[in-house]
Amino acid sequence: MRRIISIFILIILSFLLQSVLFSFQNVRGIAPNLLLILTMSFGIMRGRREGMLTGFFCGFLYDIFFGTLIGPYMFLFMIIGYLNGAFHKEFLMEDVMMPVIIIIVDELFFNFVIYIATFLLRNRTNLFFYLTHVMLPQMLFTALATIIIYRFYVWINKYLKKKVEENEVV
Amino acid sequence: MKLERKKDVSPKYLLIVLSVICIALTVISAFFPDAVKPIKEFTGKFMTPLQEGANDVGSWFDDKVQVFGDVKELKKENEELKKELTQYQNDLGKQEAELAELQTLRDLYDLDEMYPDYKKTAARIFSVNSSGWFNEFYINKGLNDDVYEGCNVICDEGLLGIVVESYDDYAKVRAIIDDRANVTAEIGSAGYLCNVEGSLQNMDNGYLLATDIDKNAIVTEGDKVITSSVSDRYLYGITIGYVTSVEQDPNNLTQTARITLTVNFSDIKDVLVILDRKQEVNY
Repeated sequence: MRRIISIFILIILSFLLQSVLFSFQNVRGIAPNLLLILTMSFGIMRGRREGMLTGFFCGFLYDIFFGTLIGPYMFLFMIIGYLNGAFHKEFLMEDVMMPVIIIIVDELFFNFVIYIATFLLRNRTNLFFYLTHVMLPQMLFTALATIIIYRFYVWINKYLKKKVEENEVV
Repeated sequence: MKLERKKDVSPKYLLIVLSVICIALTVISAFFPDAVKPIKEFTGKFMTPLQEGANDVGSWFDDKVQVFGDVKELKKENEELKKELTQYQNDLGKQEAELAELQTLRDLYDLDEMYPDYKKTAARIFSVNSSGWFNEFYINKGLNDDVYEGCNVICDEGLLGIVVESYDDYAKVRAIIDDRANVTAEIGSAGYLCNVEGSLQNMDNGYLLATDIDKNAIVTEGDKVITSSVSDRYLYGITIGYVTSVEQDPNNLTQTARITLTVNFSDIKDVLVILDRKQEVNY
């Protein structure tokens, strides 16, 4: 229960930061994809099931505010959470390199799907431009944010685990 | 006990179930947009106050940071501004006289009809789409303030966008630079029709394209581009930008012009929503 509430609060916080503060007063703003970082982190820290569920709800918020339909981003986030969950076995608390590499691949996948679905299908074929001007800055931004935020998530995860163990002992 | 059983569900099956939910929702929202509007409204009711709050925190922080700016600079600026103020005050009298004259002339030519005074309301942007692909933002006025879908959104300098979704207390606006946007506009005093295409790629280079201008149209650098009266979504006479260059298309039937927008899209906080909407005709 404690875990569900914490994840819920984290989702809302990430969404707020992403949608408001990082692009403050800038309609053409690019912000790090904090919801994706959250999905990825809980995917590799807790496994496929939790990664998938976190992605599901992150995608739900993303769809409602940034999308026109409800569903596509939900599906995308969920798949990413599920796939990242497969790295759970490799998970080491001290390792920062792996999540950064995973988030870069995730971002590339995420942006590529958006590009194909919303730009390529409308005959915007200049892939190189979109790669260098939209995807790359976003990837860099998100990767940088991951380095900082991931530590925090690991700490929260550790704290929650300790609490659960304490409860079991009692 | 209950939790124990829940853990037994394989992630694979959960994935299949959730995928089906996603696809079902996508199909429903694509074909029956009204059916999912309550979901959006419900979530929005919880999230938008939080977003507005976070935005206020951001503004407060921004203000505080600016206070720490150089005081000397401010003093110097103040002096300069005072000088400017006296100059402007002198100018003002002259302008007012000219304005009165202009008004009489306008009345004379009945130009009032051409530039109608639209009813407007001010709104504040509290959230923007941060994906980098789209240029959409949220404003803090909605149905309760008579902001409906299709209302034009402007700022001091010119056209900003159009309301695409409207809820009780907030509305979603799509900017004219968004890749999916199209505005029917007219160029110059002769009013040649054209289509201003929003484009991510062109906007990155600082211009937008006005396409489908008649090949015989005489378009020159510096011509003003305004929204057209034949557009079925945008009201007449709102400034969009100015022509910077014009080119004959390879098909030899149309011309394409590059236009520079009057609105600076990287620094917008407050906008005006025009409450009047374009009259709709059902053919």
